[in-house]
Amino acid sequence: MKILMQLAIILLICFLGEVIAAVLPFPFPASVISMLLVLTLLLWGPLKIYHIQKQADFLLDNMGFFFVPPTVAILGYLGYMQGKIVIVLFICFITVITTFAVTSWTVTAMMKYEIRRKERKRHAESE
Amino acid sequence: MQNLSELLYSPYFGVIATIFAYQAGVSIQKKVKHPLANPILIAVLLICTLLVIMDIPLEAYQEGGNLIYLFLAPATAALAVPIYKNWQILRLNWKPIIAGTMAGSFSSIVIVFALCKLFKVEESLTLSLLSKSVTTPIAVGITEQLGGIVPIAIAAVIFSGITGNIMAPFLVKVFRVEDPVAQGIGIGTASHAIGTTRAITMGELQGAMSGLAIGLSGLWTVFWTFLFSVWIG
Repeated sequence: MKILMQLAIILLICFLGEVIAAVLPFPFPASVISMLLVLTLLLWGPLKIYHIQKQADFLLDNMGFFFVPPTVAILGYLGYMQGKIVIVLFICFITVITTFAVTSWTVTAMMKYEIRRKERKRHAESE
Repeated sequence: MQNLSELLYSPYFGVIATIFAYQAGVSIQKKVKHPLANPILIAVLLICTLLVIMDIPLEAYQEGGNLIYLFLAPATAALAVPIYKNWQILRLNWKPIIAGTMAGSFSSIVIVFALCKLFKVEESLTLSLLSKSVTTPIAVGITEQLGGIVPIAIAAVIFSGITGNIMAPFLVKVFRVEDPVAQGIGIGTASHAIGTTRAITMGELQGAMSGLAIGLSGLWTVFWTFLFSVWIG
């Protein structure tokens, strides 16, 4: 599909996401609603991966580019950040370690639990 | 003749500066191959230096910057594509993957909040750090809604990503995580897309799982921060 049309589809879904976010009774980022919409439409079927593939790849490959302008705005907060930078970096550093540990241990523990459960089931069936 | 400095308020200036700075960042990263040589980091440093040295107001740059910013939501929506592509693996291991991203993103928010309380960090800064483990576009959405400071949130997200990228192989060893799915989900949940680029070098499955975890942990973080904002009122 033509790249312009692919862009139009993604922008349309993003607009829909904003409409839904405005209607929802609780705050929810519109961009995340759009992500869920894309996933639902792909799994459900009306949207095919080739409808958006090229445009999505372009956005994913250049993801970092879109974050540059909002990050440059940090220039306006240099005064605010003075004396806080070390603490912020420390908090980020510690939580990367803890988040990794909690996540991977939970995944491993759940996998072991699932295997045990299946084995118990098999035992029960064979007896 | 029109004042030349007014021309800087043309949106072309911000867009051109960003493209060149980012491309410079990408080339430097290709040469240096170190996670600290992050293209976003390099581009931001280059543009900030340009603005400060040439005494260009931030508002002038943002005329073009806002045009680029418009594509942040479509970029977030595109994150659905890697989830869709890994749907089969997700279906086979959905319980461990959902539980892992859920627990990991919850622990991230709780520990950030606890550390902020411990160091008596002011509220506006705390709110800007809560989303630090998730991918930038989702962190921007969350921070806007919490009332935090978006540029600080992005800086925290990028720093976390770089930390995860550098430490991933070390963390896997120290915490003795042997399963590639558990490794990938852990890296993606702790350090989103920047960590994922390292996970890809550790193995195809690790890379795919890390990419999957970006979207899932982002969703969980939206959910947890929502509960959190209800709780603190």
